[in-house]
Amino acid sequence: MTRTSSSTESWWSRHQVRLAPYVFVSPFFLLYGLFFVVPILVGLYLSGTEWAGLGAPQWVGLRNYQDLLADRSFWTAVGNTGIYVVFTMCVVVPVALLIAQALNARGLRGRDMFRLAYFMPVVISPIVITLVFGLFFEREFGIVNGVLRATFGFGGIDWLGDPLWAKVSVALLVIWRWTGYLTIFFLAGLQNVPRELYEAAAIDGAGPVRRFVDVTLPSLRPVTAFIGVTVLVNSAQIFEEPFLLTQGGPGESTLSVAMFIYRAGFQRQQLGYAAAAGVLLFAVVLVLGLLANRAFGVGRDHR
Amino acid sequence: MKATTRVTGGRVLLYGFLISLLLVFALPLLWALSASFKDRADIFSYPPQPLPIPAVLDNYRTLLAEQPFWSWFVTSTLVALLSTTIAVGLCALAGFAFAKYRFRGKNVLFNIMFSSLAVPFAVIVVPLFIMIAKARLTEPYFALVVPWVAPAFGIFMMRQFAEQAIPDALLDAARMDGCTEFGLFRRVVLPLLRPALGALAVWSFLNSYNSLIWPLIVISEPGDYTLPLGIQALFGATGRQYDLVLAASVLAAVPSLLVFFLLRKQLLEGLTAGAVKS
Repeated sequence: MTRTSSSTESWWSRHQVRLAPYVFVSPFFLLYGLFFVVPILVGLYLSGTEWAGLGAPQWVGLRNYQDLLADRSFWTAVGNTGIYVVFTMCVVVPVALLIAQALNARGLRGRDMFRLAYFMPVVISPIVITLVFGLFFEREFGIVNGVLRATFGFGGIDWLGDPLWAKVSVALLVIWRWTGYLTIFFLAGLQNVPRELYEAAAIDGAGPVRRFVDVTLPSLRPVTAFIGVTVLVNSAQIFEEPFLLTQGGPGESTLSVAMFIYRAGFQRQQLGYAAAAGVLLFAVVLVLGLLANRAFGVGRDHR
Repeated sequence: MKATTRVTGGRVLLYGFLISLLLVFALPLLWALSASFKDRADIFSYPPQPLPIPAVLDNYRTLLAEQPFWSWFVTSTLVALLSTTIAVGLCALAGFAFAKYRFRGKNVLFNIMFSSLAVPFAVIVVPLFIMIAKARLTEPYFALVVPWVAPAFGIFMMRQFAEQAIPDALLDAARMDGCTEFGLFRRVVLPLLRPALGALAVWSFLNSYNSLIWPLIVISEPGDYTLPLGIQALFGATGRQYDLVLAASVLAAVPSLLVFFLLRKQLLEGLTAGAVKS
């Protein structure tokens, strides 16, 4: 480790080990600061102003926040986002675990092919996906209603036009897009569990359920933590699915908070109002993230 | 031994389950592929025809002849390649520094970055747009690249990977041989980080290539459209040109699928490395 520092060596070569990390991280942090930290600070400032993008922003203090709390649309968006979050945590995550469990079966052939195919929806552009889904869920010509009509003699569901069914459609799209993505993480976790643990449990007379509870679940702890936090944070920011599939409608039945921000900022020119909603979303996501961190015990693994 | 031979009924059930899932995941994409070769009138025919017979290339021909598809394609691809190159380079440098050096402020910087993974894009989108507009930096190749050049997730991934993949002894040996720190990075670290670089490259490319919201906000000239914007415009246009939209969607999916298939191993490995051993 100790370097021979002769007088012919330049200043840089004598200090480079100490200075190199700063040189290495600074290009990243320069751009990160400029395009990420500064916008957050600008957003904080804007949230205290009223501004339509022209002229100077008018300082209004906390009024945007008061208005938000009294805004029914905002609460609708919060409620819908809450539904999406709970749905993803309670349905998508367990389904992904189930699929991963099936993929981890001993001696399974074509595992990689299945894994890739399930992952595929993440790769495809959301505009393409929602377009195809939009056609599937079409009321008159859509395949979904067509199949329902053919098998059950009833297929008149207005998938995208009825407030309740529109939520269901968005949920189905979320399942389709993200289940396979989560599956690869669970599968990676499962493949890290030593087989001997299962064999030992089997010798002790543990059945499949017992083995799952006593061996699988504890071993999956780090992956579950990762997935839990990521899913919570990501589904709280849901935007593309409702935006593209239903435009938040009908009415505001699928409006999410991220869409609410987009609508206020770019369709209604209420920039300060949008920024305030952004700050609230940030605060809630951060708190949820920290809670999830604690609940799943990620914090303990990080330095 | 026991598990493989025990219940064949279970095996049948297992494969049945996995194959039906496969269909569920693949069906919408296969349907789009098939429909893109159908006549506009046949796209909605019922019962749905699984194969486009007779297959027609008209949709593709019309799309390429009447729409600036190639311009959208080039913009999307170049922007994605540009942002990917910058992001991968910067994240590799910084991730390596976080994994293998001790320096003052390291933990603070890393924690700031790590918690910023929780910042919704919707939060920074309004202020970022205002900054870009005020600075008159709306030139598409600049504006479109900006949100993707410094992804915190990239550093996280690189650090996780570098910690496991780069032995300290190797670094010390290279230093003993008179290697400079930057030479160390270029000659020792980069080759060892290759799987993580691949993973981050795919992740970053897809993020930029598939993004819709940001281009929707910063791009106003139809001549500067990216692929998702172009497809959206076709879709919103009079009469909903499903035939053209489907052809455009299929063509648009080619680069992302290509990148994904070429680097799939690295992507899946790199993505899960951080999750499994955190």
